[in-house]
Amino acid sequence: MQSLRFVGLSKSYGSAPALRDVTLELAAGRVHALMGENGAGKSTLIKLIAGVVPADKMTVERDGQAVTLKSGKDATRAGFRFIHQELNVVPQLSVAENIFLARDLPQRFGLLINWRKLHGLAREALETLGITHIDPARQVGALSTVDRMLVRIASALVAAPGEKRPCLYVLDEPTAALSETESERLFAVIQRLKSEGAAILYVSHRMNEIMKICDDVTVLRDGIGVMTEKVATVSRMAIIHAMTGKDLGDAFPARTKAVGQRVSAVVTGLSSQRLRDANFSVREGEIFGIAGLSDAGQTELVQLFLGIEKVTKGQLVVLGRAVPKSPSEAWSRGIAYIPRDRRSEGLMLRMPIRANMLLPHLADYGVFARKGSETHRARDLARHVQLRATGTEQSVGDLSGGNQQKVVFARAMAGTPRLLLLDEPTRGVDVGAKFEIYTLIREMSAQGCSVLLASSDLPELLGLCDRIVILQDGRQTCMVVPEGMTTADLLARFYWQDAA
Amino acid sequence: MRDMLRQSGTLFGLIAIVIFFAVQLPETFLTARNLLNISQQISMLAITAFTMTIVMVMNDFDLSVGSMASLAGVVAGALFAMDYPIWAGVLAALGVGMAGGIFNGFLVAYVGILPFVATLGTLTMFSGLAFLISDGKTIFGRDIPAEFGGFARSGIPLDGLGFEGLLVPSLSLLALVILFLVWVTLEHTTYGRRLYAIGGNIQAAYLAGLNVRRVRLSAFALTGIGAAVAGLMYASRVASANPTQGSGLMLDAIAAVFLGMTMGREGEPRVLSTLVGVLILGVLDNGLTQMNVDSYIREILIGAIVIAAVAISAIGSRR
Repeated sequence: MQSLRFVGLSKSYGSAPALRDVTLELAAGRVHALMGENGAGKSTLIKLIAGVVPADKMTVERDGQAVTLKSGKDATRAGFRFIHQELNVVPQLSVAENIFLARDLPQRFGLLINWRKLHGLAREALETLGITHIDPARQVGALSTVDRMLVRIASALVAAPGEKRPCLYVLDEPTAALSETESERLFAVIQRLKSEGAAILYVSHRMNEIMKICDDVTVLRDGIGVMTEKVATVSRMAIIHAMTGKDLGDAFPARTKAVGQRVSAVVTGLSSQRLRDANFSVREGEIFGIAGLSDAGQTELVQLFLGIEKVTKGQLVVLGRAVPKSPSEAWSRGIAYIPRDRRSEGLMLRMPIRANMLLPHLADYGVFARKGSETHRARDLARHVQLRATGTEQSVGDLSGGNQQKVVFARAMAGTPRLLLLDEPTRGVDVGAKFEIYTLIREMSAQGCSVLLASSDLPELLGLCDRIVILQDGRQTCMVVPEGMTTADLLARFYWQDAA
Repeated sequence: MRDMLRQSGTLFGLIAIVIFFAVQLPETFLTARNLLNISQQISMLAITAFTMTIVMVMNDFDLSVGSMASLAGVVAGALFAMDYPIWAGVLAALGVGMAGGIFNGFLVAYVGILPFVATLGTLTMFSGLAFLISDGKTIFGRDIPAEFGGFARSGIPLDGLGFEGLLVPSLSLLALVILFLVWVTLEHTTYGRRLYAIGGNIQAAYLAGLNVRRVRLSAFALTGIGAAVAGLMYASRVASANPTQGSGLMLDAIAAVFLGMTMGREGEPRVLSTLVGVLILGVLDNGLTQMNVDSYIREILIGAIVIAAVAISAIGSRR
């Protein structure tokens, strides 16, 4: 295959057009970035080319020849493979079984599984991607996030007998849950696929990645293709401008008020099941970063303040008292929490915005609920966080990722907390909404609220934090002041050595 | 528009069933006497289903309500047989209902057993206890105080309104009172908001500071009390108590809530929708009995209707 053209992609849901006459040209051996804010039409576009949603209009040509794309089967037959951020691997099964999940497993006597052959084939599939560190016999549940993704890619790569090699890989925000090193590993695999002549469509919100690994970029805004350029000839600002229609850049809102003098949390010699020997204190109004490679204990450190992760040694004093015993005690003492995964841990997707925002604050109303004043309060909060919704009764599940995150923020801000715990607050959020969320974090800090910010987004850590504590495998290895640091400097600190 | 049709489909179903019986049974069905009779027939199921709605809002359910109803009736009956006053028997039965509910809630919320397994276990336990206390026999006759049985036959006379000799049964009124209480609890208290939040996403509710365990435990307690009330009503109605008389309640109560859930915007249980579900089951039962339809066929029909309603709703909400 030399080229793949998707012409005139159009799709409306009801009367609302989600995609209008978009044309996408992909070339073999090139990585094509697809960018746009949440709700710009990226997911719709992917669904159309995956054949899972019927297009109102679409023609597909491979090297000038028409391709029918009416179902998911057609897409597979055409050699298209899709890797989503929500990984569809079966954690209970082995790596090899996952790789061959949709295929027939090699058999012995037509009855028993030929394990040796299966593992051999799986190893081969992994090796074609340059992956040698994953044992095909291991249970997928025991693997790290990136390794699961690599397994998923390997499984996408495996062709059934008589099937062509895949010619297109669509990666939908593959690095959303990955740390920088893990991302590197994924990029190496992408390079390999590329060199073997596949076309790659790469969806991401992360500008650095796009600049680094992509050759071409197409930007969608409100369902229209507003830009298609070679990455080498286009600036970040131009891309952001195309996405948002305004100039934002990687800019972070500046601190408006000095960090307070009083200390709001002190951690001394603290250990838990996951954490070893953490020592730090956080002052009022300070934005305190928590960083490290993925799964180094960031989430556990944040959850310590909620009473979920239990202290086994040492001391934690927060807002003048001992550590709370449960999330409900934490919230009632002015500790607000924004979890890592808003869909599974943050929101009741099928319930209205009002109910989602006021969930931790129901005690304010006593025994009887008052819908009128609840609605009033939810409306004020929605305005404050610049929520874009049809009203406070709209189901949260209908909102874009950025707006869902604003609902979670509104919930945290409603109680005027004194300590705000953030775990990946801008994960999967588009550039425009990101900036608005940063502004909210700054605003909280200016009101004297201490903020704990666990994040894998390095520019975000450097742009917002006053100090950053770095964890490695649960151990606090160092503390840095971001002033004058580059992302590379920060990343280097993630690899702690005795000599350093 | 389509959602509205889907949501009101079950209500139209009820209306269609009523019209069908009104045509088939022109003499007897749509009479004040029969309607009041239906209201009394369904009152026990109604209370069980209303309080079942409370746990089902949280995506939990309680399989033990039927045997709890039997147990509560037997406890009251046994105390009556030992010459305890009526209030003592009633209070003890309600206490047993609450204790059983708390036990269910403890197993589910604190021990962490799936509601299906936990309440399947307690179903058997409560049933065994009821047999143990009653010695497997029916407590009846002189053992049951006349005033206790009299409650089920009492009511508010409608003589002044042109319905000579008719009563609005006390049992029906009691069901209405419980309906009101459950409605206020679910729709107009912060406690109700918490229940729906847990049903919406239990993990999110926990992380947002809800005391999920306590709320779950208390909800099971309420369902247990509801079952005990239904058991007492049964005992009063037949002026006797036996260890199996509540056994039909559980499946019908869950079916009624499921029928009602087809009317929710997001398929969530609402107590007023549960009422529609109870009415469908009650009217069908009454009408088919009057038409002399074999009781086995009646069961097949009722099962089929529950499946059809839920299936239509499931297909309708798919997009």
